[in-house]
Amino acid sequence: MSDLADQAYAAVLAGLDRMTVGRLDLLISGRPAAHAYQMVMGDRPPTGLIGQLFDTNGLLATWRAAALRRPPEQMWEECLRLGITVLVRGTEEYPSMLSADPAPAPVLFMRGSFTGLTGRRVGIVGTRNATASGRDIATEMSRELATVGVHIVSGLARGIDGCSHRGALSVSGGAGPIGVVASGLDVVYPREHTALWNAVAECGALLSEVPPGTAPEPYRFPMRNRIIAGLSEVLLVVESRETGGSLITATEAALRNVLVMAVPGAVRNRAARGTNDLIRDGCPIATDARDVLVALGLDTRRAGPVAYDPRLRPSGTDAAVLAMCCEPRTLDQLAVSSGLALAECAMSLARLEFHGWVRQISGWFESTSGATTRTGARW
Amino acid sequence: MFAAVPAATLIGVEGHRVTVEVHISNGLPGFTIVGLPDEVCRQAKDRVRAAIVSSGFRWPQKRVTVNLAPSSQRKMGSGLDLAIAIGVLIADDQLPHGCVDNHGFVAELGLDGSVRPVPGVVPLVAALDGLCPVVAATSRREAMVISNEPVRVAHSLREVVDALRGDSPWPDPPPDRWVEPIVAVADLADVRGQALARQALEVAAAGGHHLLFVGPPGSGKTMLAQRMPGLLPPLDPATALTTTMVHSAAGVALPAGGLITRAPYRAPHHTTSLVALVGGGTASLRPGEISLSHGGVLFLDELGEFSNNVLDGLRQPLEEGVVRVARARASATLPAAFLLVAATNPCPCGGGAPGACHCDESARARYLRRLSGPLLDRFDLRVPVHRPEIDELLLGDPGESSTVVAGRVAIAREHAIARNGCLNAGIPAPELDALAPLDASAKWMLRTELERDRLTGRGYHRVRRVARTIADLDPLAGETVSEAHVVMALQFRVRLTPLLGGRAA
Repeated sequence: MSDLADQAYAAVLAGLDRMTVGRLDLLISGRPAAHAYQMVMGDRPPTGLIGQLFDTNGLLATWRAAALRRPPEQMWEECLRLGITVLVRGTEEYPSMLSADPAPAPVLFMRGSFTGLTGRRVGIVGTRNATASGRDIATEMSRELATVGVHIVSGLARGIDGCSHRGALSVSGGAGPIGVVASGLDVVYPREHTALWNAVAECGALLSEVPPGTAPEPYRFPMRNRIIAGLSEVLLVVESRETGGSLITATEAALRNVLVMAVPGAVRNRAARGTNDLIRDGCPIATDARDVLVALGLDTRRAGPVAYDPRLRPSGTDAAVLAMCCEPRTLDQLAVSSGLALAECAMSLARLEFHGWVRQISGWFESTSGATTRTGARW
Repeated sequence: MFAAVPAATLIGVEGHRVTVEVHISNGLPGFTIVGLPDEVCRQAKDRVRAAIVSSGFRWPQKRVTVNLAPSSQRKMGSGLDLAIAIGVLIADDQLPHGCVDNHGFVAELGLDGSVRPVPGVVPLVAALDGLCPVVAATSRREAMVISNEPVRVAHSLREVVDALRGDSPWPDPPPDRWVEPIVAVADLADVRGQALARQALEVAAAGGHHLLFVGPPGSGKTMLAQRMPGLLPPLDPATALTTTMVHSAAGVALPAGGLITRAPYRAPHHTTSLVALVGGGTASLRPGEISLSHGGVLFLDELGEFSNNVLDGLRQPLEEGVVRVARARASATLPAAFLLVAATNPCPCGGGAPGACHCDESARARYLRRLSGPLLDRFDLRVPVHRPEIDELLLGDPGESSTVVAGRVAIAREHAIARNGCLNAGIPAPELDALAPLDASAKWMLRTELERDRLTGRGYHRVRRVARTIADLDPLAGETVSEAHVVMALQFRVRLTPLLGGRAA
């Protein structure tokens, strides 16, 4: 069994039932993982602290049973088959910014390439249940950041997370995104993100703390968030409820002295209540990618010229209606506030929708990305 | 020794002529009813015997056999009581033979000999065509709706017998109170704001399009739906008669005039069973809510809360305008041409507005998936309703009243029927090009919608029918449908696409 790589043993230990970050750290810090594995299997006498650990509440028996169910050879073969690299803390390939983390992951599983972990990184997180404008902002900002070579770190969840990954992937030749997930790298959650998940692994890196086959149990998500915070140089919260995972990530980031920035939202927008709370607590505001680049200390002139917008610019009543759509509005509301007849207002919206300025979701009209910028003061 | 008396029984909403044959012979005293009576009908034995005795007549101490012909058909209810009693009295020679030749009997008897009303008098009397119906005094108006012969009323068996013997004339009918009670029809003017939903009601009423309101609780969906019957024109004579028959058969109270002339409005609760909605029952084949709303409006609030089999049961009647209910013992075709108005929340929490809702996407999709695609497809109009703004609620001018809108609806309906021979919702797809021609820009508009995959082939036809109705309501429009009409029609077809897991709806 000695011809197996040390990572195989580390992977097995990381996947044991009732394993915690603290226990795993105690087991493998300062010794090869193979030795720790032998201690668990009883082939090597445990050192004092580890012996105490084994005595707690039948832990040793649980671990031994789990280790027998999934021996290192099988684990290693599985990792190789899925193209997963195992990174053990203390070795050279382990990401350096995580080694100094207050609660470092002793073992990391990675699909994809390592390059992102050495470049500039910005975390983008937010609610799973985002508004259309929140999604647009996440997509647009990550796209612009990826264009200038900043890697996007996010959690591959529904909503803002997914949009930031998609935005980063939409740039050809841009910086590859980094996805940190709470389940095993072969257990895609949510299921509809399968394609996105694979694209992130292909263009960037997909990281997890647990071995393949682990289910996305709820308690793993806050743990995952600390890794997102640890990997980010700046953490951008796009939209968040007053409670939620993205605020946990923000707290973890603050603990690690990572700068947290928030995108402000409308005061009555429930999906922006958490971000607005962050701003009230003194968090700096980010309204576009340039703010983030300044915070990173990057030269913003490299961001390049604004792309040509082929959309026909609205004029007259259309422009007036578009200006009212900066927050979700209904046809009734728009007709009342514009003073137009219902049919005229509907015609105007149909023109705007045709040219891609406005989008309708179950009766609510909302302007699409760029509409406010280009009809507003900046032009 | 023998008598035959005409009467009628109810199957579904149709009356069927029944001949009550009574035979009295020597033998052990006894009383038998044959000819497939149901439980209520069988119990007529005791009612009839008691009524005859307490009216001062003699009960024959012989063998009495009653046959209800045709004997292979189920007979239901207590409406044959009076006919059986008269038959027994004739067969026992207490009444002259031939005295009932021009009469048909539809009433129940009390133990004291009183004559009582039964449900379904309108269809029952219809089955006694050519005979003078004899009914309870309170059933007179219903009977007069349909009968071509003079209607005879009586309060007791004694009065009937006296009149048949010729001892005294038929009792005078009770004094008529033809005062129509003031029916409080909900007025559209009570609705503040909601311009889109108001127009949707108008379009639905004018074109006969089924209508679905999607909106958060408290946005006024129910209030809007209650205003729908007020926009529909009075029922035409044939429909009025059918609707009256259905209501009569179901034992629902009829208006003072007897005939139902205003469009009925039924709003069954979402726990309603399939049988109660569609009609049926093991033997009685009672009409359901969809038949009771024939010619009028069926409002299903909280559409998503109805159980799936109930909703799927609606699909066939929605297509055909009738419902065929078949049971082991009988089957019936019940009329069911109604305008379906339904309301649903956009999601389980009912928040609705982007950002205000706290359901996740899968919960929202699950909620709307309960409304099966085929049912959702039957709604030509799917209209978003939003909570009115506070200003609109407090300061908004009252909108047009129902009378004004109903006037426009009536004109548009006449126009549509003159052109299509039916309401716009019923235009067959191949005739759309002839009856609802599109102008160039309208065609282009629909083309882009189809190209962007936001409209299915079936949706395309539905949008064209709705656009036809909108054009009919537009006083400035010609015979072609223009872009503005199509744009409005598309507004009435809220896309549930992002919520339905990417399926074009």
